[in-house]
Amino acid sequence: MTDFQLLIMMPMLVGVVIFVIPDSMKIIKGLIALIVTAVTLYLSIIVFRLPSGAEAGLYSLQSIFLPVIDKFMMLKVDGLSRLIVLFIGLFGFLYAIYSISYLDRSQTSKGSVKAKIPPYYYSYYLITLGASFGVALADNLLLFVALWGLLGLTLYKLIKGHDDESSATGKKTLILIGASDSILIMGIGLIYISARTFNMSEISLFTNTKIANIAFLSLLIASFTKAGAFPFHTWIPDYAKDAPASTSAFLPASLDKLLGIYFLARICTGLFHLTQWATLLLLIIGSVTIIAAVMMALIQHNYKKLLGYHSISQVGYMITGLALGTPLGIAAGLFHLVNNAIYKGGLFLTSGSVEKRTGKEELGELGGLSKFMPLTFIAALVFALSISGIPPFNGFYSKWMIYTGIIQFGTGTGIANKLWMVWLTLALIGSALTLASFVKLISGIYLGRRNEQLGEVKEVSFLMWFPQSVLAVLCVLFGIFAYNWVIPGLIGFTHVGNANTFPGLWPAQAVSILILVSIIVGFIIYWVGTLKTRRVSDSFIGGEKLQEELSYSSLEFYKTIGTFKLFGFFYEKAKRKWFDIYHLGKEFVLGLNSMLSWCHTGILSTYLMWMILGIAAMLVILIV
Amino acid sequence: MGIEIFYFLIFPGLLFSGIIGGLISWADRKITARVQFRKGPPILQPLYDFVKLLAKETIIPLRGSVTTFILAPVFALFGAVISAVFILLPVLGIETGFAGDIIVIIYLLNIPSFTYIIGALASGNPLAAVGASREMKLILSYEMPFLLVLISIIIKSGMTIRLSEIVAYQAANGAFIGSLSGIIGFIAIMMCIQAKMGLVPFDMAEGEGEICDGIIIEFSGSILAFFKLTKYIMFFALPALVAGLFFGGLSLSGINILWSVLKVLAVVLLITLVRNTNPRVRIEQAMKFFWIWMNLFAVISIVLALMGL
Repeated sequence: MTDFQLLIMMPMLVGVVIFVIPDSMKIIKGLIALIVTAVTLYLSIIVFRLPSGAEAGLYSLQSIFLPVIDKFMMLKVDGLSRLIVLFIGLFGFLYAIYSISYLDRSQTSKGSVKAKIPPYYYSYYLITLGASFGVALADNLLLFVALWGLLGLTLYKLIKGHDDESSATGKKTLILIGASDSILIMGIGLIYISARTFNMSEISLFTNTKIANIAFLSLLIASFTKAGAFPFHTWIPDYAKDAPASTSAFLPASLDKLLGIYFLARICTGLFHLTQWATLLLLIIGSVTIIAAVMMALIQHNYKKLLGYHSISQVGYMITGLALGTPLGIAAGLFHLVNNAIYKGGLFLTSGSVEKRTGKEELGELGGLSKFMPLTFIAALVFALSISGIPPFNGFYSKWMIYTGIIQFGTGTGIANKLWMVWLTLALIGSALTLASFVKLISGIYLGRRNEQLGEVKEVSFLMWFPQSVLAVLCVLFGIFAYNWVIPGLIGFTHVGNANTFPGLWPAQAVSILILVSIIVGFIIYWVGTLKTRRVSDSFIGGEKLQEELSYSSLEFYKTIGTFKLFGFFYEKAKRKWFDIYHLGKEFVLGLNSMLSWCHTGILSTYLMWMILGIAAMLVILIV
Repeated sequence: MGIEIFYFLIFPGLLFSGIIGGLISWADRKITARVQFRKGPPILQPLYDFVKLLAKETIIPLRGSVTTFILAPVFALFGAVISAVFILLPVLGIETGFAGDIIVIIYLLNIPSFTYIIGALASGNPLAAVGASREMKLILSYEMPFLLVLISIIIKSGMTIRLSEIVAYQAANGAFIGSLSGIIGFIAIMMCIQAKMGLVPFDMAEGEGEICDGIIIEFSGSILAFFKLTKYIMFFALPALVAGLFFGGLSLSGINILWSVLKVLAVVLLITLVRNTNPRVRIEQAMKFFWIWMNLFAVISIVLALMGL
């Protein structure tokens, strides 16, 4: 077998084989999954190091049984797909480590985690992994869509309907993803009509004919639903809330983002040439996604749902970056994609750790955990700072690249170019709002006073904090060494932050050293000062004695924002699911149903009347 | 690497901006005292304050996250000093690797406020949490007009986001304060700076009368000394930024020193007068003020800048 066959087929085959092992032997399944993911990580590194020229990149996933279909099995390795493959491999391995301990019942776990673990978790996990590699590598659209559809199915199987709410979430996910998949198939059909080929490397369409436009929009819908962009995002917050944390980290936070945005990048940079109207459309969707999702995140009380909304909001940045279409913008979008997968996956892992140890899902029931789960706290803080774009972490670097890209884009002549200040403002404000909602998350879970009802809380086991720490270290390294190593090495783009050719300048390494310097200076000042002779005392609250009802919950933080009429209006509508395309679709279908049931009364005389009316109508038509 | 550390610690970083910031803080207090018909403090008072606080007892909250609480002020000081470096080097016209990317400056200027929020929340004090919540909402309020004014500056200076080039552009074409859009943008950014400094009328995060200094209620001794030092540095960095954006930058050669001092003092005087003649507003009033009025000002400034006024 070649490396490619191993990479794609082996996880899927092993996944199918371990269906026979009963779920009570989870540890064995976990170890098998760990070995398989370790091998695929190794293989994905090999694939990453393959030469990736335009011609050299084509390989065939030779079928063993049916040589006839070989031409449908073409794979392509270029700069984009090898990046995605590398990170799928990395995340697959890290989350497999995490899953072993997360799924383990003998570890002390409280509350709802146990109920959320779906049956045959590892089988679907491995099938997902193999299919994802396939999607990222496939050059043939038919192979691509087959594996893409499989991912929708495993996504559904990785959430367990343990109560009414989670069953509804599973159904919603399946229907939304399934609908977008069928739209994708239609789009691919239209592409075949225009381009007469299924190979992505041979397709290059202009969005100036009707068919090409519809195909473009269909593919866009598929990628947006997978990645979660407005208005096709609504499955993500619910899924993040009801699925096990390892699944949320694996699919909606990492793999679905990687693949959805990968497909978007293919659409924007290869399959289609964007007109200025298409660029405008993408930028509008990107900006609306950023703001709408982050505004919803601000008012959430369930921390996993909050993270779900953020994983939508971040997609807006990637879409904005890719939509710019400039080399800087595309590099920025892809770098943000990688960074987002790292810190968002990490955030879901830390939230899973908290859930495992406390059994609570609401911010209001937690607090003061930083003392008891220090490693998880530090990791979560790093992720939160990265996603909020605090320098010098990786999230700042990619956001800064996007902003710089927007300003550079603003010197162009198109309609979207002229509106650069709108995109820049919305992206920057979105970043401030992200910071605000992560202040709420961090303070609600880790800072402040500990909720006495929590009982004993311990740090999670090595298998759970190790993947979190790896991701946190990556956040720091990617931020500091972005310019010299990470961006040229991963994305193959070298000019960013160049003193002469690019508008912005951000000396990340120098600043990082200065941070170390300032910590040393800080300790010197503390040493000179009186920190040695400190006294510990309870909080001063104006002379009052502290009572439970006096504590100010972080949930109340942003209540004031809802009191503004405009925001209050949108929040109220959002609560009634006006922006949920699934809900709207459901209402529409059920509305049609009620019209039909109005006709089908079961009363014979009514039917007879319909028949007579029909005959009369036919007669009129025939005579006239 | 040595030169960056020099910039950071000596000039124009920690030492230089700390001293100048202390002097500005003294000027602010002196003017305030004169407005209120008092004598005012001696010129070394900021230094006395700082040294005195280092010698005072430090009280650590019993039920909080101690490490986070102690480290937050260190990062706040870092944020203030690094933004001072990024602002002052280009504004003073010193050619270095720090060209003063405006977007970077926006982010760096938020670090002090943000770390105080984290520090306040780590203390576990409910009044500090009220203050932190207000501070965060204040950031959300002034961030947008601040950015919009900077956009109008970017448009006026021919789509450059480097502070050094913005200063150079003004040297060639006249300071931006001389144009209509410049004046309107200046008004908006002054209000943003008032809020960034946490001064009256936007000091609701501290609100000593109602929430006992809110966000800094638990800071004491050396930790409070950091807070003071950070405030001094911000009191220099922000007026210097305004001088760079609207008055054509500062200079340290010959007679220009006098002009530079006057430019900074003019901005400080405005800040001080506003803070002495206004009462504190409530947080939602401040939000409304920034979201509606200051954004409107900033947008008008952008439109005028696009028209070339």
